[in-house]
Amino acid sequence: MVKHSHRMSSSVTEPFLAVRDLTVTLSREGRPSRVIDGITFDMLPGEVVALVGESGSGKTSIGLTLQGLLPRDYQPLVGGSIRLAGIELVGAASRTWRSVRRRLVRAIPQDPMGALNPTMTIRHQMRESNGGSIEGWLSRTGLPDPGRIADALPHRLSGGQRQRVLIAMAMMARPKLLIADEPTTALDVTVQAQILDLLRALTREQQTAILFVTHDLNVAASLADRVLILYAGRIVEMGRMQDVARNAAHPYSIGLLAARYDLDSDRRRPLITLPFEHVPPVNLASACAYAQRCPIAQLDCTAIRPSLAAASAHGGAAACLHQGQTRFVSAQRVDAKPWPAPAIQATAALRLHNVSKTYPTGNRSFWGRQSQPVLRSVSLTIKLGECVALVGESGAGKSTLLRIAAGLVMPEGGTVTRFDKALPQVVFQDPVAALTPWLTIGEQIGERLRGVSRDSDYARRRVGEAMKLVGLDPVLMDTLPAEMSVGQCQRAVLARAVIVPPRLLLCDEPISAMDVSLAATTLNLLSDLRRRLDMAMLFVTHDLAAARIIADRIAVLKDGELVEVADPDAIVAAPQSAYTRSLIAAMPGPQGGGRR
Amino acid sequence: MTGRSSRDTSPVRPRFNWRDFFRRAGWLESVGIVGLPVVTILAALAPWITPFDPLLRVAAAYLPPSTGHWFGTDEIGRDLFSRVILGIQYTWLSGLAIIAFTLIVGSLVGLISGLMGGKIDLVIGRIVDLFIVLPSTLIALAFVAAVGPGLVNTMIALAIFWWPWYARISRDEIRRLKARPHVEAARMAGVRGPRLLLRYLLPGVAPALLIGASLDVANVIMTLSLMSFLGLGLPAPAPELGAMTSRTLDSLTVHWWLPILPAAVIFLLCLLANLAGDGIRAALRGV
Repeated sequence: MVKHSHRMSSSVTEPFLAVRDLTVTLSREGRPSRVIDGITFDMLPGEVVALVGESGSGKTSIGLTLQGLLPRDYQPLVGGSIRLAGIELVGAASRTWRSVRRRLVRAIPQDPMGALNPTMTIRHQMRESNGGSIEGWLSRTGLPDPGRIADALPHRLSGGQRQRVLIAMAMMARPKLLIADEPTTALDVTVQAQILDLLRALTREQQTAILFVTHDLNVAASLADRVLILYAGRIVEMGRMQDVARNAAHPYSIGLLAARYDLDSDRRRPLITLPFEHVPPVNLASACAYAQRCPIAQLDCTAIRPSLAAASAHGGAAACLHQGQTRFVSAQRVDAKPWPAPAIQATAALRLHNVSKTYPTGNRSFWGRQSQPVLRSVSLTIKLGECVALVGESGAGKSTLLRIAAGLVMPEGGTVTRFDKALPQVVFQDPVAALTPWLTIGEQIGERLRGVSRDSDYARRRVGEAMKLVGLDPVLMDTLPAEMSVGQCQRAVLARAVIVPPRLLLCDEPISAMDVSLAATTLNLLSDLRRRLDMAMLFVTHDLAAARIIADRIAVLKDGELVEVADPDAIVAAPQSAYTRSLIAAMPGPQGGGRR
Repeated sequence: MTGRSSRDTSPVRPRFNWRDFFRRAGWLESVGIVGLPVVTILAALAPWITPFDPLLRVAAAYLPPSTGHWFGTDEIGRDLFSRVILGIQYTWLSGLAIIAFTLIVGSLVGLISGLMGGKIDLVIGRIVDLFIVLPSTLIALAFVAAVGPGLVNTMIALAIFWWPWYARISRDEIRRLKARPHVEAARMAGVRGPRLLLRYLLPGVAPALLIGASLDVANVIMTLSLMSFLGLGLPAPAPELGAMTSRTLDSLTVHWWLPILPAAVIFLLCLLANLAGDGIRAALRGV
């Protein structure tokens, strides 16, 4: 790859960013750990490079290192070399960093609200960036009525608008390098598609290079020229986006690509997932970091650290000792047995009839608070054993409907009827936040047993059984949530929900914050549990692909009204409403691949 | 789906690590955190560790500080160092007592207010607001002046105006926690009443209260010293830091150690308490 870019440099452009053997060590709780482990790559002006990896792979740290913004609390140690436009940045003085951040490098953060000052108007904040007319830049990002937006405070804007403001702010400085760290993760699919179009247009126009950090290969594929696949702080594969998407050379990339699901995935059998969850590897200095999870690992994989070498399958490079065997990884795909048909009964587990709800808005008038309807007479029935997915964009009222179904919120009009008096169980969006930080996993899972028995031996046995059911080692019973990975927390949340199987399980965006392989694993687990325990399920999501895979029926919610309820395949094949059609059209996918 | 998630799980982090706690607090603040219990123990043992009897004449009057009498002697020849140590006992222990009492009362009121919500929350909230907007020091002075000076009266006067702050902190923390997914999940799991409060809410409220209380120690000591400086503390012979400063203030130019040294001790106590408060805040919030 290195040679390759030098060849290109002779024609038009120098690699203006050259990263050589970059290592970053952060100390957490006084314990050093190497988050970036010998990374080498180049970027050319106007090039979009995707940095793809699971959470914890070090992809965000690379972005922060390039801005000199690694958190000081973690006592960062940076080794190797970063040359940006001829300036060496490793070990540079803070003055150099400041001028680099001012003139050369800008970033678009993941959380657009946190990056804006809530007390200053947009115009005021954009004035801090030098150059150009504020309205001009805002309108170039496709924002309608830029004058009004410029004079607004951030909380008056929607998530998509804020993200565009930040992009305008970053582009205004005409940076050479734009670091976009999951800039669309928090956004709806339709807004996401617009933001990606905008970034694409801006690179063409201004020759800005973009380092696009993401865990979503579908999003990466629709934007990037090249891709770097990162595992445990090392590049395991790099190459042209299309090459890697079609003929990946590293077992990890193959697994990551296979774990993608879209509107064409097979919904009759479990999704393909990466083998096991990420475990912090041991003895990394002389081993392949992926060896413990790799399906084709051999003895030498734990003895020799593979270096990036020319890939056999494409023009890029891969770090694998056994590239010749990687085709066997893909051969394993079709071993999963199809799901048994769910036992759906005629009786309703949950019946919502003409449910409506309004929320007060911020505007206070003399006569009291104004309010805005979030749900307008929604009627939905979920039968015993059935899974219904509720799809819609943020603000559509999905979460409110789920909270009404759970009994956490009272509806203002209409009736809610459940099959029995027992409380339904809820799986919240963020599994870490759904666990009390100071109580052990076992204590929390066992909480619902108190209605059954107070005997502690019995409780421990039942908790152990529930943990096994969700694929969690019962040894973890006495650990605190902070000591577990996100995937393990998600399993613990599920174990708590099913230790006494409820008739109805309510899932509020359970996979939206997860990377692809963990999302697929969670979808499989939920599909399995609801069939095994005969649970009805309401699955709230903004991801139509996930809804199609898990649900027996899909309900589409827009502005508090159900616009369509139908069979998943029917909805994708022949959407009845214009809104559903727009959702399907906005789904990111590998261009030319994906849709058949 | 593969059940093997974590036989080889990540090394378990120790639950609580003092070294880490002090590292996050900062070294100067750590001195304050260590100093807090040390001063408390010294204050409790004060009558036994004073080198001389603080109430009796032990040497000539107006001796400047020397190796025999570290802080010198006062107008009747009492050892100033011994008197200051006893003064620390009065000020420090009554300060802690006020904090402890108001912390318990205030946080209980706040917990009830935050848990109940609705009308009760509104009424309690207004009462708390009322106490907070009153000019507390002034009214406390008036109260003590009316009821008569004395340690107990001073403490009551201060306590009346101190509890609303803790009520406000604990009420806000409860409201914040109640909306968190893990508390909602606990409620969906059927946890109710005292169990919800004690296991799921209180441990989350405690750090904020602890931070507030530790930062308040210095405030209370200042106010107590101010009141005794104005003659509203213990009656004359008792050694009290504020009173000692005020009584000897007119001899500042002649016998400087008499007002300066007790005042310096007040300053040091407040500095120590503030450092400890800052350190505890940094360590618990991870700032």
